[in-house]
Amino acid sequence: MAAESGVFTFAPAIAVLPFVSFLVALFAGKYMPKKGAVAGIAATAGSLLLSLVMLAQVASGHAHHMELYTWVGGEGVPFELTFGILLDQLSTLMLVIVSTIAFLVHVFSLGYMNDEGETGLPRYYAELGLFSASMLAFVFSDNVLMAFMFFELVGLCSYLLIGFWFRRPGPASAAKKAFLVTRFGDYFFLIGVVGIFATFGTGTFGGPGVEESFPELAEAAIAGGASVNTFFGLSPRAWFGVLGLLVLGGVMGKSAQFPFHTWLPDAMEGPTPVSALIHAATMVAAGVYLVARMYGFYALLPTVLAVIAFVGGFTALFAATMGVVKDEIKQVLAYSTISQYGYIMLALGGGGYVAGVFHLTTHAVFKALLFLGAGSVIIAMHHNENMWDMGGLKDRMPVTYYAFLSGSLALAGIVPFSGFWSKDEVLYETLVHGLGGSPLLLAAYAMGLLAVFFTGFYTFRMVLLTFHGEPRTDLAEDPEPVRWNVKIPLAILGVLAAVIGVINLVPVHALESSVPEFLHDWLYHGPEGLNGEHYHELITSPEFAGYSAGAIPGLGELGTLFASAGLSLAVALAGSAVALALYRAPAPEEHTAKLGSLKTLLYENYYQDEYQVWLAQDLTEETVAKNAKRFDDGVVDGFVDRVSDVSLVSGHFLRRVQTGIVSNYAALITLGLVVLLVAFGIVGGWFGGVFA
Amino acid sequence: MAVPVQYYLVLSAAVFCIGLFGILTRRNALMFLMSVELMLNAANINFVAFSFQHGNLTGQVFSLFTMALAAAEVAVGIGIILVLYRNFADVDVTKATTLRW
Amino acid sequence: MTTRPRLRKSSSQVIGVLALALFGVLAAVFLTASFGDAAGFPADGSITAAIGYAMFNLDAGAFPSEGFLVSFIVIAVVLDAALDVAVMLGLREEEEDTMASDGRGTRGDR
Repeated sequence: MAAESGVFTFAPAIAVLPFVSFLVALFAGKYMPKKGAVAGIAATAGSLLLSLVMLAQVASGHAHHMELYTWVGGEGVPFELTFGILLDQLSTLMLVIVSTIAFLVHVFSLGYMNDEGETGLPRYYAELGLFSASMLAFVFSDNVLMAFMFFELVGLCSYLLIGFWFRRPGPASAAKKAFLVTRFGDYFFLIGVVGIFATFGTGTFGGPGVEESFPELAEAAIAGGASVNTFFGLSPRAWFGVLGLLVLGGVMGKSAQFPFHTWLPDAMEGPTPVSALIHAATMVAAGVYLVARMYGFYALLPTVLAVIAFVGGFTALFAATMGVVKDEIKQVLAYSTISQYGYIMLALGGGGYVAGVFHLTTHAVFKALLFLGAGSVIIAMHHNENMWDMGGLKDRMPVTYYAFLSGSLALAGIVPFSGFWSKDEVLYETLVHGLGGSPLLLAAYAMGLLAVFFTGFYTFRMVLLTFHGEPRTDLAEDPEPVRWNVKIPLAILGVLAAVIGVINLVPVHALESSVPEFLHDWLYHGPEGLNGEHYHELITSPEFAGYSAGAIPGLGELGTLFASAGLSLAVALAGSAVALALYRAPAPEEHTAKLGSLKTLLYENYYQDEYQVWLAQDLTEETVAKNAKRFDDGVVDGFVDRVSDVSLVSGHFLRRVQTGIVSNYAALITLGLVVLLVAFGIVGGWFGGVFA
Repeated sequence: MAVPVQYYLVLSAAVFCIGLFGILTRRNALMFLMSVELMLNAANINFVAFSFQHGNLTGQVFSLFTMALAAAEVAVGIGIILVLYRNFADVDVTKATTLRW
Repeated sequence: MTTRPRLRKSSSQVIGVLALALFGVLAAVFLTASFGDAAGFPADGSITAAIGYAMFNLDAGAFPSEGFLVSFIVIAVVLDAALDVAVMLGLREEEEDTMASDGRGTRGDR
């Protein structure tokens, strides 16, 4: 045991290493070869190595929790605020994903930033290091307050990185938008954190050796075995629902769920490796990771779960339709990110904890791949991102093409690429729980299934426009070559995107039980109260979420599984086939015009930006803020002004007392003395009882 | 039989009020100095009266110090009047009003 | 200016009523108060000599008193300072004149 905790003492280094690289790149970056990239690569490689060690330790059956630092606490303080590390199955898995992507993004940046001769590289690598550090620290946080703090740091770093080219108006405004929109969600999260501490007196997620964790306390409170502070006279269940929704606000802001998704497409203004990092592993993943982290809490609350599932399903469909008409390669990817995170939310809300984590994993891989592939294309096209100016890149950049194709097949959900397995499981879990008696989940499932069609369509439209057909511009005719530092990350991720589905082959396992479901087993063997088995009990317990698994009538469990898989595959293939039919030509035409006014609607993103600007500007600024200003100017300032006027005027008259003539002052002093003496005399009875 | 202390006090109050009257009504700075001198000596009368009342010499000794202080005050006062005269060509205190608002 | 004392009958005299009022209040208080009998000083022994001893903290006087050596020295210093101030106030104008002319002269030389 001592040896294992010996290894675990290095756990903080996972986040500290990138932080050191942040400091090094910030202060010494300009003196280093590659402007600080080396430090970042070394640090993230170290983090990756340590994460793998931790993964191995946890795999050998030793989840670990330790408290590092107590910054508020002691005698008479109702709760303790601590920094601690929780290394269990979920967090080590996520640590490996994050550090892998961060490492590859650092390597890729050599090609995307250094070779392109960008300026401000030390700043870039410093921010990248801080970004990785805060995300890694967020992942291994052991309590909700620490998670919140690093959640915010992640938001800050994405603001800095999206606005990396801050001298151009686009990135600067996109950065501000990302910051403000996510901050709006985080505001609710903050209230939720305070609420959790006020309710339970602790914010820890649980883990080995933890006496009280808030999900367990909540469970006990609903079961009637413990009492907690609830507010506004709500029952524990209703109050927990409020808390869950508050925290969910932060999740939806970060994970770009409707209606907080508007920041994410704009975030494409940042450097492409940053987009890969934000979308695959850090910023956006932080939101859904938080739901998975405190799943023991959400699993108690059927209403909140239904909200999560419905928002997820709606976002999946909504974003996918917008991705259909975009012209720029990164825009398509941005909408696909929103859509895919909708699936993850759908899975978590639909009771598919394993499915959600599975899709989070596979999506991290293939979305990082797609963004890096897009980055490679963008390098080749001299930073022209319009797909209509590309075409025919297949033969000129084969490594990028095959890697990108692997990611696209995964994204579209074509068997046997990774996305198929995870997306299928997401839909399957939602379907069976929907069939078990939840029409809302069925509706969410329907939206998710419909989104599969659009996903297949926009994915292949993107691939065909970019890589197939005849080159449509001179640039596409003769693209700039990319170097090893671009190709190697692409190759690694390309292979991973194809095969990572192996970790959870549910349909195969159902047929041939000797094929293991690694991820399922992995997550089901977490520490007590933090494992999938416990969550499954909560989900199905009528006392809590009360989901039950149903099946399509007449097919049985196995039949439903295959029907669901076959259906989603068929829909994905249909979407892809439509795209192939429309755009597989040497010189494809724009078919979007056929959509008529619908096209404008989709192009304008359903006017989401407009209505949010209206909310912020016309409603808030013009109406509320203006009236508040009027109140401030008129009443508050007015009162202060009147006070000063009164003192000015009275001072103007009173100063006449100050004549400058000594005799007058003496007279006043004498008068005062007489009056005082008389007063004291009367009160004190000095006059021999005459006045007493 | 000794004179009761009340009469000394009334005498002292009378001297003090005469000095005060001078300060209130006169405009000549020199008259001011004299009036202040009267007021100081009213205090001395009190010192001596209570020294006798309590059978303790402290009051008498202190009245000596008061006289010394009065001398110092007059020395400074005369100097100030000198400056006053130089600045305003007069020793009328009602003319020196330039330090007000 | 004021060559001889003269009784003024201007309106400024009216303010002197305040002094009379003060006297009235004080007298009223004093005359209604009772202080008891005076302790007085015994007939034998020199009061003046005792004052002299008290002023230098010498314990030889016939009557009780505190020591006043420190006060004596402080008053001495104050008197000295007052003398200096009086001289300074008396001389200042002249000095300023000489300084001003000197300053102008030296500046002109440079």
